[in-house]
Amino acid sequence: MEGELIVQTTENKSLMEKLGILSDAAKYDVSCSSSGVGRRGDGTGIGNTLAAGICHSFGADGRCISLLKILFTNECIYDCKYCINRKSNDVPRATFTPDEICELTIQFYRRNYIEGLFLSSGIVYSPTYTMELIYEAVHKLRTLYRFQGYIHVKAIPGADPQLIQRLGLLADRMSVNLELPTAEGLKKLAPNKHRKNILSPMRQIQQGITQNKNELVVYRHAPSFVPAGQSTQMIVGATPESDYQVMMVAENLYKKFDLKRVYYSAFVSVNEDKDLPALPGGPPLLREHRLYQADWLLRFYGFEAQELLSESRPNFNILLDPKADWALRHLEVFPVEINRADYHTILRVPGIGVKSAQRIIRARRSGNLTFDDLKKIGVTLKRALYFITCNGKMMYPTKLEEDYITRNLIDRKEKLPFDKDGMTYRQLSLFDDNSELYWKQAVSG
Amino acid sequence: MEEYYLICEDSLEGIFTGIYDAYLMKKPHNRIHICLGEDDNYRLFAVYQTHPPDEKKAASVARTVIRQFGEETYLAICRALASEKPDKAEAVYKTVAAGLALKDKRDLMGNLSNPYIHRVFELARFTANEAHYHVEFLRFKELENGILYAVIGPKNNVLTFIVPHFADRLPLENFVIHDEIRNIFAMHPAKGEWYLVCGDENRLQAEHAFSEGEKKYSELFTSFFHTIAIKERSNYGLQRNMLPIRYRRYMTEFQEK
Repeated sequence: MEGELIVQTTENKSLMEKLGILSDAAKYDVSCSSSGVGRRGDGTGIGNTLAAGICHSFGADGRCISLLKILFTNECIYDCKYCINRKSNDVPRATFTPDEICELTIQFYRRNYIEGLFLSSGIVYSPTYTMELIYEAVHKLRTLYRFQGYIHVKAIPGADPQLIQRLGLLADRMSVNLELPTAEGLKKLAPNKHRKNILSPMRQIQQGITQNKNELVVYRHAPSFVPAGQSTQMIVGATPESDYQVMMVAENLYKKFDLKRVYYSAFVSVNEDKDLPALPGGPPLLREHRLYQADWLLRFYGFEAQELLSESRPNFNILLDPKADWALRHLEVFPVEINRADYHTILRVPGIGVKSAQRIIRARRSGNLTFDDLKKIGVTLKRALYFITCNGKMMYPTKLEEDYITRNLIDRKEKLPFDKDGMTYRQLSLFDDNSELYWKQAVSG
Repeated sequence: MEEYYLICEDSLEGIFTGIYDAYLMKKPHNRIHICLGEDDNYRLFAVYQTHPPDEKKAASVARTVIRQFGEETYLAICRALASEKPDKAEAVYKTVAAGLALKDKRDLMGNLSNPYIHRVFELARFTANEAHYHVEFLRFKELENGILYAVIGPKNNVLTFIVPHFADRLPLENFVIHDEIRNIFAMHPAKGEWYLVCGDENRLQAEHAFSEGEKKYSELFTSFFHTIAIKERSNYGLQRNMLPIRYRRYMTEFQEK
């Protein structure tokens, strides 16, 4: 009875209304990358992909808009407490048809608005049924419209593994959301989801990718399976896990499941529920930022989660980024001589990133580097100067002392959550809440 | 000691010709300079010569650059020469001269401690970044006759760097990209090879009537653009960092209806 009612109302909705509802419902999914696969167009259709990915716009929240991020439907039978589309919420519901999705993707793509499609969905009837709907849309887009741009689809936990296998041959990236870092958290907030059901499609995709790589070695034209790899996302701040737990989970996912990316999503309180934390200070954005910083250290800087945090120090330093924090606790390895140290040692210096480290290695072949050269290369000397020497000399006479360096490293511009305990630098005014104003500014450009 | 200033045309061909002629002079490189157009103020004890572009000379320099330094460095030099900055000619000339004296010629662009090479690196990076911004933020509008039409206003001459990307991406579309600053058009006929047209008045005057679908899809995208942002996370500064304001006047989602 209720189902019929929903179907009737969706049929009357215009494409504009549907896009509004289903993009609004999809926006809490973080992943929007279009990277990981480079593919030239074959001249018979539309589209190609760039390995580095392309962002096509940036929304008022500063997040990139790369893919047409939509749900197939938000008519969901699940009741996850953190989700805006939970069954018990009274929100407008809508469902696309496969043709509408193809039309939007192709027309947006031709105008260079987007880089491809990100298709997720609420669960209608069953996971397998939902997955079939997604498959139909993606299949049509790939074959009938000959779309060769980027497609990211969600693998729905609990769906038929064969369907996931077939979908993987059409999509560039697949992802299964871990939702919450621990099984207990998941049980509490998402009663219809199970950790096992989430990990098994993840494992299946991982094995599919490995197998496909072996096939491609033998048969060059074998169809590729999820060539841009898989990703996942975790909500941070909805359950009481520490940063250490989150980082350990992420490290495991990278090591054991070969994930391309783990996304962290600061919990945005959209529902009121006794099991959810109240967040008067807004989403824990600084915490999310620190987690991403640490994530980069794991993936590109050769750090391990154990080095950054431990059982006794389970959370990141609010005032310092994880790399500077690590360096201050390991002053015995500094200062590092730029003209002699190896790549991995240089990479661990605060203020030197992957690109600068590579340029240093390349540039010092043709002569000794000075601090001036480092500046040109792109090193942030303001941060690095406490930790490096050039030709045996430091930039200024500085003390290699934890307190002294900490005082100088703290970035005053970084937005710190002082207002949490009532301390804030903002001047009092009659109209205290400026967020509405900023929002309007950002939306109108 | 006299210094020599070679005045060249502001183009790849013109500057390569200047480099060729500088070598013909058989004088130390630090006494020869290449500049674009006339200086405002003439120097004392300097000889000014005008060198018109010469196809053969330019091709010869291009060949040498590719053979000695490799494709990648050649591309970096081309990018640097597409820059809007007038000191590009001198920087490229001195970079080539420094490179030919090197032992490991393939690693020319790694020598960032040489100020000229660093300047070429900087200019090339600026052009490459701007080209990438245009690949991201360029917006096509569909005209009545089905042609996709885009207008750009780049600081550097990036048009030739971005068209191959779109030609590969949209092989079955007729599209035109118009650089309104330099008044050049890149034309891509469906299933064909793209080419450049230097602007003439008529083309510019032509009124563009947009197709039926154009209004519908631009409105759909503008609405998508607004709903996809999370209000609790609004961050105007970050948006401006990632999407500089000067690009916005060409972008559908920021245009007034």
